[in-house]
Amino acid sequence: MPLRQREPLLWLTVVLLAVTGFWWAGRSREPRPAPGRTVISWYVITSPLRDLYTAEVAAFEKLHPGTEVRIFWVPGSEYNVKLKTLAAAHQLPDLFFSGDVWLSYLRPFSRDLTPLVQRDAAEFGLDDYFPAIRRAMQLDGKDYILPEYLNLSLLYYNRRMFAAAGLSEPAADWTWDDLVRAGQALTREGKDGSPPVWGCSRVEGWWGEWLIYVRQAGGKAFSPDGRRCLLDSPAAITGLKFYLEKSSRYHLSAPAGFEPLNGFVNQRVAMIVGGHVNYWLNYNQTPGLDWDVQLLPAGPASRSGGELAIAGYSISRESRHPEEAWALAKFLTRPEAIAAIVARGSLSVRRSVAEAALRQPGPRANPHNLAAAYRQFEFGEPIPHHPNYVEIMFLVVQPEIDRMLLGELSPAEAGRRAAAAANAFLDTFGSAAP
Amino acid sequence: MTNRRAQSLWFWLFAGPAVAGFAAFSLWPMLESLWLSFCQYEVVTPPRFIGVQNYAYLFAHDASFWPSVKVTLVFTVIQLPLAIGAALALALLLNQPVRGRGFWRAVYFLPSILPQAVFAVVFGYIFQADGGLLNRLLALGGLHGAAWTTSPTWALPVLIGISLWGFGYPMVIFLGGLQNVPRELYEAAHIDGAGAWARFRHVTLPLISPVIFFNVVMGVIGALKVFDLAYAFSVAQAQPAPGGPARATLFYGLNLYQQAFGYFHMGLASAMAWLLFACILLITAVNFRVGRRWVHYGD
Repeated sequence: MPLRQREPLLWLTVVLLAVTGFWWAGRSREPRPAPGRTVISWYVITSPLRDLYTAEVAAFEKLHPGTEVRIFWVPGSEYNVKLKTLAAAHQLPDLFFSGDVWLSYLRPFSRDLTPLVQRDAAEFGLDDYFPAIRRAMQLDGKDYILPEYLNLSLLYYNRRMFAAAGLSEPAADWTWDDLVRAGQALTREGKDGSPPVWGCSRVEGWWGEWLIYVRQAGGKAFSPDGRRCLLDSPAAITGLKFYLEKSSRYHLSAPAGFEPLNGFVNQRVAMIVGGHVNYWLNYNQTPGLDWDVQLLPAGPASRSGGELAIAGYSISRESRHPEEAWALAKFLTRPEAIAAIVARGSLSVRRSVAEAALRQPGPRANPHNLAAAYRQFEFGEPIPHHPNYVEIMFLVVQPEIDRMLLGELSPAEAGRRAAAAANAFLDTFGSAAP
Repeated sequence: MTNRRAQSLWFWLFAGPAVAGFAAFSLWPMLESLWLSFCQYEVVTPPRFIGVQNYAYLFAHDASFWPSVKVTLVFTVIQLPLAIGAALALALLLNQPVRGRGFWRAVYFLPSILPQAVFAVVFGYIFQADGGLLNRLLALGGLHGAAWTTSPTWALPVLIGISLWGFGYPMVIFLGGLQNVPRELYEAAHIDGAGAWARFRHVTLPLISPVIFFNVVMGVIGALKVFDLAYAFSVAQAQPAPGGPARATLFYGLNLYQQAFGYFHMGLASAMAWLLFACILLITAVNFRVGRRWVHYGD
């Protein structure tokens, strides 16, 4: 056949090949649901609770035979990027992991759960949530999250190191001065090649610790309307100064940049101010680490100021199966489910579960002083609900705090520069607390 | 069918998929990002045209833009000569007629097979302030090591040092260039009384100048686009936000990535991408212009 006659055939072949290739590459890999079953998707951060969640979903499906749950495990470091990308593609899962720290920017694609919460309040036990948790569930008086667990800033300490130094363990009425005294007594210079041991860690690179001191000194990161950064106030500067002087003046923390890696677990650090409840599981799996918690030491203005943050479940605004997703959210946050998580090493968002844990007779896994942890609820504060909070803190504020720790700026200069840069950001973007 | 038509058909048959791929996956996204650079686009809401505000914000208000430009330029200006010099020096050594030359060439090229991210992680542990290998060795000699990776003074120099391990590719290109230098020219220069340095200066360098030029152009582009090394370094140092401490390692590419995928300011990130593109285009054009003076193509 001459080429002229073969030409259309060749073009047809090329087009067919291209279409087949695109179809093959873009075809859905998802298995089809069984007839009559509704499929809902659930995005959850990969965690040591994976076995627990898998069992929970199996139990849920048994209870709701008409619903099939597809779990998508996403590493924590990629979670927010993945979620926003899915939102942009209108492919959000029905149910996703959320938290009050992220809620201000997750809100555009989170469903307002208020009608569902009000409708089923008695069924899932809305009154069972601690008042502080109940407040954190809401933004502008609307519900967006059904909480599962929480983080609360606490004073963590190594009991063995305190005993070895002949010190009594931290008390509930401790102040910054007590923290400094004990920290200094626990600090050991590294000699003959042995590494130094520090009385207290210092969290660098983010606001986890310094914001506690700023608040306890009477300062705030932002004005209540979220339009101004207030880190240049005298109170905030007092907090920043204490954060700096933990190493530069009192020598109870490592100099900037020399914080031991996993210092508390490796017993190179005797105390942590703030910490994270998520680490309890790791602490309890570390041989020889005998740890406990206490209320945060009070600052010059207040004991309040530690972080209280919740994490739980939100339903996508675009979900085609909100009722099924809501049923799963309720199931995952029922008292029995929360109790199972708490038993692994955590605090409870529900009062009934917390009371049961406190009543539990016999020796308890660390922390022994669980009552102090629950008492700290009174003093916990949420981080500011601002859509650009994380960005302002990381990109604009934190570099000035870093420079302060390195001795390039005084606390007053750092506070002033951080506030000026944050306010320039706010003026440009015009964001305010929602 | 005419011969010309047949040629055209065969051309499109083979080049078509590549052209279509380029148009769909490179050209169209580039044009889209150009449009987005004039919009406020936070991914979850539709783009809103705001004119040149993204560019104005970057130049006048963004606290991280100029620091990231500075870090990238400092890196480029210091790293590039070191990288080119090291690659050329090693290529000269590996071009010598020694036993096991092929083996040594393979050994020196090996580090380049590994991604830069691996170096960032491994060297991150070596340079760690508390308990890192280097500081332990220094302590044995009674010296107190610095906070290499966590101090703004040292973090960038350390990253520059780590990046030099990627010398393999320019080294191989230099080797290729060196092997194309005719032996007779060296022999003639030798007979004329030229010493080793004179032969290198007046024979080797001019004849491999196109290769040097190629490595410089590619090196500049690579240095301005550094991302993986800086990102892996931040991860290895467990920095809560990449680019620390105090923005000391906030490379332009890292900053762009953060704006795009950390904070979803796609409009702002698009503006940053186009500024980088324009900058690379300009520097490359200048390189070609200046190159005319010192690059000898033998014609």
